[in-house]
Amino acid sequence: MRKEDTVKLISAEGFEFIIDRKAALVSNTLKNMLTSSGSFTETELGEVRFPEISTPILEKVCQYFYWSLQFASGKETEFHIEPEITLELMMAANYLHT
Amino acid sequence: MAHILDQKIRSFKLKIPEFKKMSKTDSDRSWEVLEDAISQILTLNVKYLSFEQIYRTVYSMVLYRCGEVVYRGFVNMMARHLQRIATTLEAVPGSLFLEELNRRWTSYIQSLQIIEDIFFHVDRTYFRPVAKTSTFLMGMNFWKQHLITTPEVRGRLLPALLDLVLRERMGEEKVQGLMSKIIKMLEDLGLYVYDDIFEKPLLDATAAVYRFQSKMAPHELGDCAEYLSMAERTLSEEIKRERVAMCVESRSGPKVTAAVTTEMICNYMLKLVDMVMPDLVLMLVGDKYDDLARTYAFFQFVPGGVAIVCTAMYTHLRATGKYLVADPERLENHVNFVQRLIDQQDKYDKVIRLSVKNDITFQNALSAAMETFVNSSKWAAESISLYMDDKLRKAADLKQVNTTDVEILDKVMMLIPYLHDKDVLKKNYRTNLAKRLLSGGAVSHKMESILISKLKAEFGYPYTSKLERMLTDMETSDDIMEGFTSNLLSGHDSVKESNFSVSVLTSASWPTQPMQICNLPSEILSLQHEFETHYYSAHSGRRLTWLPNIRSAELKANFGFGKEHELHVSTYQTCILMLFNTKDCLTYEEIQQTTGIRCHDLTRELHSLACVKGKNVLRKEPISKDIGKADVFMFNDGFSSKLYKIKIWNVGAQKLMETKRKYTRERVQFDRRPQIEAAIVRVMKSRQILDHKNLVTQVTEHLKSSFVANPPEIKKGIEALIGKEFLERDKDETQSYRYVA
Repeated sequence: MRKEDTVKLISAEGFEFIIDRKAALVSNTLKNMLTSSGSFTETELGEVRFPEISTPILEKVCQYFYWSLQFASGKETEFHIEPEITLELMMAANYLHT
Repeated sequence: MAHILDQKIRSFKLKIPEFKKMSKTDSDRSWEVLEDAISQILTLNVKYLSFEQIYRTVYSMVLYRCGEVVYRGFVNMMARHLQRIATTLEAVPGSLFLEELNRRWTSYIQSLQIIEDIFFHVDRTYFRPVAKTSTFLMGMNFWKQHLITTPEVRGRLLPALLDLVLRERMGEEKVQGLMSKIIKMLEDLGLYVYDDIFEKPLLDATAAVYRFQSKMAPHELGDCAEYLSMAERTLSEEIKRERVAMCVESRSGPKVTAAVTTEMICNYMLKLVDMVMPDLVLMLVGDKYDDLARTYAFFQFVPGGVAIVCTAMYTHLRATGKYLVADPERLENHVNFVQRLIDQQDKYDKVIRLSVKNDITFQNALSAAMETFVNSSKWAAESISLYMDDKLRKAADLKQVNTTDVEILDKVMMLIPYLHDKDVLKKNYRTNLAKRLLSGGAVSHKMESILISKLKAEFGYPYTSKLERMLTDMETSDDIMEGFTSNLLSGHDSVKESNFSVSVLTSASWPTQPMQICNLPSEILSLQHEFETHYYSAHSGRRLTWLPNIRSAELKANFGFGKEHELHVSTYQTCILMLFNTKDCLTYEEIQQTTGIRCHDLTRELHSLACVKGKNVLRKEPISKDIGKADVFMFNDGFSSKLYKIKIWNVGAQKLMETKRKYTRERVQFDRRPQIEAAIVRVMKSRQILDHKNLVTQVTEHLKSSFVANPPEIKKGIEALIGKEFLERDKDETQSYRYVA
């Protein structure tokens, strides 16, 4: 996995999730961030921090990204969400515009 | 993902934590962060900013119901920023004004894009639903509000732009890029901006420039054609300019083009029209198709312009026609006349094709003009038939069919539809064809058949079938002759020597010839008998009638002093001359009695034998120009001529033509009457009741293919039919007629 194809998402606790750029672009917010014309730090380094999103949530989000890429290619599968994390997940989703 | 979660939540009842509200201080602090970030962005200095942080700030502000703070703060901030820019711009000197403006604009656009990205969330959740606007729109509005519409900036922007346009028109290259950028800016700001600020003054300025140019031009140029070519050039330049320099969404393009044309042509129309008339004539005479095309293209822009060009052209055509016809000398020379008709037709065809792009109005006008033109001469039909005759005779001399000849025939065919007296033409053509075939000269069968097929297309099969039969008759005659000569009894070697030939014609196909009697000399009589025997043995049930007034013979004559000449004479003349084999002296009466030839014809033949200089093989007493009944004729022993072969046959033919023409015409008129009556009956049979006016129209329609019937003639026909009880006047309405079965 080359450096240019990946993005690093860092959770509140400091966990680093390295995912494909294509996966990250599922989120509109991330897309704007990464493709913005201004040279923000994010675009320079290719990593984004989320001090308000906790690790399990962020993990789930990354799983969602990959799931949605699969889903887009036609294979229908179910995305399982534990009920306890639903609310926080939703707030994160709203934030990320996913 | 949100929609999935949404479903999940509905199925669960969760404990939702207390909704936090943001305090004023918190929101103020957040806004300060944002303000700082935005100002950095506006100077395009974003390297050390964290997108995520800013985004989160905006997000939380909106989430905690502080979106309005963002909104108001944003508006104020931008206003301040742009006002600062406006003041800096004013300080800029004139020549650099536009460049500076352009620079600021580009950087502004860039920063606006970044702001858009940051404000993505607030845009979606607050700006659009609540404030009913978007970041982008706001950005544009700010720019417009604070910069462009301020009187100071605007006051400088406009003249600077117009100045640019002027310079570009004069040919400066470098300004194009700047100009297009500024214009694009105005466009991006919204339609009204562009239209109000720039387009109107631009159009005014353009109009002014060209008005001036067009006023100056004629004094310099003087010629309509030149003026128009200059106009064309300018127009194409302007169009190019629009496309390249302004890269306008072709909204302005047509407007500017229209402005140019208005100035150069429309406002100038009246003067141009006066100029156009004589110049058009020049163009037509000189075959200047390009100039004509240009005139046409330009006058299309002017309402009613095309009609003016059209009328001008056709007045000229009619005038030429009148001039041609008024010259009686020209008229006599039929070939010349028709040639000129064809030339005119050709020329105008080309004009229509090349210059006017086959415009229908022009084509119609051409047909109308050609019709008047062609029928302007009384003898038009005769002329055309004579022309064709001439061409066919010439073509017969060539061994092969010449394609140019075929083309010429095509062109003549094109004239025929215009003719009013088509039936005259038909009759004349048939007579001419008969003459051609029987004259014994060379006939190009191929050319004849080509022309006949063309005539078939025009007149239909019944007419041309006769002509075709005439041609086949000639061929059949050749076959019969072959059979005849091969079957002859050996005792008639003299026949083979004398080269006797007969053409057998089917009487129905050939133009009717009056029956002539002629007592042929005994030598010919015996041949005649032989032929008849042969023919009747081959074809029983047919009857041959001999027509001696048509063909010719070649006689070897021995004159005094051992002079021998070959005389090419008609059959009548042969009879007359052979009489002198036995007798030396004969009176007119004697000749007439012996030969049995009609007085009228006899006079003519004797005239050509005795009175024509250089061909007087007979001497006449008293010596005079005319033939009298008491004249005495003697064989002219002292006859001499430089040529061995002498043609006496067709000397009198020219005189015949004029009388023949009149005769044919009268016959045609005579023939027309039954045709008119037949047409009337046909119309009435289908309509049963018809009023006078309609009847006349219908009958004219029916007869259109043959000739143009005139109303008095039709009226005569109607009267005649009423007399014959085919029609009756309607009892109720005096103007209507009723068909009587």
